[in-house]
Amino acid sequence: MTQENRSGRPQGRPPEGDSRLTRTEAQLRGPFLLFFVSAVIWLLAASVLGLIAALQQGSIDAGPFRGCEVLTYGHIAAAQRNLFVYGWGFNAFFALNLWLLSQLGRFELRNDWLATLGGAVWNIALTYGVIQIFGGNQTGFGLLEFPREVGPILAVAFLLAGFWPIVAFARRPTGHTFASQWFVVGASFAFPLAYLLAQLLVLWQPASGVVQAIAHSWFVSNLLLLWFGASALAAVYYFLPKVLGRTISGYYLAPVGFWTFFLFAGWTGPSSLIGAPVPLWLQSMGVVAGAMLMVPVIITAINFHGTLSSEGGWSRAWNDTTLRFVSFGAVAFTLFGVLNAAFGFRGTNAVVRFTSFAAGQEQLLVYAFATMVLFGAAYFVLPRLTGSLWPSAKLVHVHFWATALGTVASSIALLVGGYESGKQLADASVSLQQVAKAGSSWNLTLVVSAVLLLVGHCAFALNAFGMILKSSAPVSAGRHD
Amino acid sequence: MKNLNTLLAGIFLAVALPFGALVISSQVQLGSLGRAPAEDGGPLFPSREPGLAIQGRAVYVSLGCVSCHTQQVRPAGQGSDIARGYGTRPSVARDYSQQKQVLLGDRRIGPDLANYGARAKDLGGVHAAIQHNGQFAFLYSGAKQDVPSERAIALAAYLQSLRQDYSSPEAKLKQ
Repeated sequence: MTQENRSGRPQGRPPEGDSRLTRTEAQLRGPFLLFFVSAVIWLLAASVLGLIAALQQGSIDAGPFRGCEVLTYGHIAAAQRNLFVYGWGFNAFFALNLWLLSQLGRFELRNDWLATLGGAVWNIALTYGVIQIFGGNQTGFGLLEFPREVGPILAVAFLLAGFWPIVAFARRPTGHTFASQWFVVGASFAFPLAYLLAQLLVLWQPASGVVQAIAHSWFVSNLLLLWFGASALAAVYYFLPKVLGRTISGYYLAPVGFWTFFLFAGWTGPSSLIGAPVPLWLQSMGVVAGAMLMVPVIITAINFHGTLSSEGGWSRAWNDTTLRFVSFGAVAFTLFGVLNAAFGFRGTNAVVRFTSFAAGQEQLLVYAFATMVLFGAAYFVLPRLTGSLWPSAKLVHVHFWATALGTVASSIALLVGGYESGKQLADASVSLQQVAKAGSSWNLTLVVSAVLLLVGHCAFALNAFGMILKSSAPVSAGRHD
Repeated sequence: MKNLNTLLAGIFLAVALPFGALVISSQVQLGSLGRAPAEDGGPLFPSREPGLAIQGRAVYVSLGCVSCHTQQVRPAGQGSDIARGYGTRPSVARDYSQQKQVLLGDRRIGPDLANYGARAKDLGGVHAAIQHNGQFAFLYSGAKQDVPSERAIALAAYLQSLRQDYSSPEAKLKQ
């Protein structure tokens, strides 16, 4: 297959790639592996902390590390969430977004040292921030917990490490663009804007009173939807047609899906403030935006599930490691969107407010959707970049089943457990202790699923690191080009 | 979709418009809230925070108490906050106008603390609550773990300062 036979290429399908390592790929191998390896290390750290948090959850006197100041739940929970989001999620999407747009735009990363520098600064700042959290120096705003001096450093590191997709888009040789490119450009541009504005108004020049909470909720919705959501959607748009070798069904809807997603996602923040002492019009904006977000959710559902449903797509997806993870994620995204709309309304939200339900929704988005898609992408990209095969098929199976079962179990435990305790909390005669006791059966599920996730991540790390080490051995050096 | 500038302009608006409409306009609406009497000539509420309470909030933040405790009372009809005794009236924005850092929280593994100062009986009870059955014993010393450290004293002062038991122009207490 030659590289230049795609003049009549149909829309809705990424270009055919070369099966060998291309020059564009060889050039981004260094930064890609740096981002990927650090992402996996943070993922392991986050899953250990996740297990500790699950053991502590819901019990004020049980749990290990009782009476140990460094490992109080307030520290563990904050460190876990930040490591997962900024350590795993960001590093992994730095790697994947860069690879995706280099592929789609045939972009040669000449200044790879800048990306490497950005990755190094990002990870050093992150390490410092997490140590500070354990040392008791945190800000009290979820996902902005790092002491405020970390913020600007992370922002600069983001520009060095995460801005290359936009350069790749600008320098692409062809006029044609593909859905993945829009979503990655959007994610890479929206996050630093939102992060800097939030840093300013929440930590450096705090707004007055509850406006801090409003700015914070606005930031969290941007981070979760416009960075995690958009980056992962880009990957699904790429891998589904690529691996199945067909076009996205209803691809003409994709631009509408893209713009409605970006248009509505930024307004959904206040839906996490329903009932809070903030203006009512603001809460209503959040409710409306949450419902409107159903438009892009439906469009992506048509695009993804339509593509998978024709000509035995599901069974082919099941038999392909990459697609098995990616289509798991695609289903999870649709589910997330439906739940987000259904529980965004004032009545339903009042039931689940302040319970574990919101954590369950976040788990659906950042784990069942984004993380599973990232895993699938790793199974596609890493063999190409390292030029070797995954060392163990067994570990791949362990990885899939442990993470799939773990994430299903923990999402159900958080969502259903949250809903149940919300129902009980609505009755003021049921005491908080009784509610906690009734929900304690879910705590066991959370511990088991945390163990499963940890096992799955260890299997993934062993396999991936084994492959990377094998490929950097001197025997195979210089095999390409 | 092919033009980078159009794409970036659209994304910029998608981030900036909600920021302006949600965050900046609520700053305009709420930024000038201050202490106010419920009726003419009455005492001004909310009270200013005592210095020790400000130190105590730093302890509250540093231990991550916000992971398990909220500080907001929802209006009747949304949940059972008032029936549960978390407050006597819903929280309003003015209640937080004197706080340098607002810790509304979004998870209730423990009870809401917005009005804790009003329902705490005595200082001993506050310290017993802070101990959480010994989980926060590191804040105390002595043979019976009953001598509070400086941090525990500040934290207790902060918790006692959390009160929403006054009438304010937006939320009057029922007589």
